[in-house]
Amino acid sequence: MNDSFKAGAREGFFAFLPLSVGLVPWAIVTGVAMRSIGLSPLEAMGMNVIVFAGTAQLGTLPLIATGAPIWLIVLTALVLNLRFVIFSAAMAPVFDGQPLQRRLLSSYLLVDGVFAILSERLLKHPDKHWRWGCFIVPSVWCWALWQAFALVGVLGAGVMPSDWSLEFMATIALMVMLIPMTATRPMLVAAIAGGLGAVLLRGMPLKLGLIAGIVIGILAGFAAEHWSAPRKGASS
Amino acid sequence: MSEGAWLWITLALIGSTTILTRGSFIIPGERARLPAFAHRLLRYAPAAALAALIAPDILLDQGAFDPINPKLLAAMVVIAISLRSRNPWLPFILGMGVLLLMRKGLGW
Repeated sequence: MNDSFKAGAREGFFAFLPLSVGLVPWAIVTGVAMRSIGLSPLEAMGMNVIVFAGTAQLGTLPLIATGAPIWLIVLTALVLNLRFVIFSAAMAPVFDGQPLQRRLLSSYLLVDGVFAILSERLLKHPDKHWRWGCFIVPSVWCWALWQAFALVGVLGAGVMPSDWSLEFMATIALMVMLIPMTATRPMLVAAIAGGLGAVLLRGMPLKLGLIAGIVIGILAGFAAEHWSAPRKGASS
Repeated sequence: MSEGAWLWITLALIGSTTILTRGSFIIPGERARLPAFAHRLLRYAPAAALAALIAPDILLDQGAFDPINPKLLAAMVVIAISLRSRNPWLPFILGMGVLLLMRKGLGW
């Protein structure tokens, strides 16, 4: 652990800390939800450790509860996790020069929040020790927080007030990540198109509307960049 | 419900989708690189993905479009606060405060 690792760890941890608060109610809600479909505490925590992806966990619970065919459950999880292919491609240069076991660990730990808050500074930094510290410390923190508060939900299921809309904290956390990203016009276009696309296509089977919305948003952002670029060039 | 060994097999397969998607480009490392064109496209992925997760939650009520609802108003407050203040805790406090006030206080 050299100074560069520590500096990266400090910057990553404190940048990610406020956002990780939004994870707490989400983890609790997920813990309660897993118990509510009839998983034992051991099975619920097993799922929480093995899957470690809130959206895929919450999305597959209704299917597990109704005894849906295994291929449908796994396909749904895959679709809900598809966005990580995009994150993985964007993040890959961060792990240049790292051994395989660190890449495997990082693949297990990579979550939306760490990507959204830290990817830009991770990709810019030339020192691989700094990058490793800045990625792994907030990621492990996020994992521990997720497991601890899911356990609170698993053990406290039935005692929690279910009418406090606590799950909305997760949406607020997503918004807190999104808003700073939309400072440029193409990014704002991508967000608006992605959001409206997901709403309008919500009727598509297997939650494919979410994937379709993301693709629409990406293409809209790219198109906006393309069309605004020549004008910018002409005026300067 | 899926029972016993089948449940654990199901959970392991769900978990494998997490590792496979998150590791798709991180695990092969330098051997797998996206073309520059794809990278330019992918810069918009996080914003599009976050918005696609958020919008249905704040614009829909029980699956139907609802342009005036407590969650959307709370979301407006979150946006206004995030643009004006750098305090990282305020969006959570005020957003939940507004939602609970409307749901519990006004019975909306």
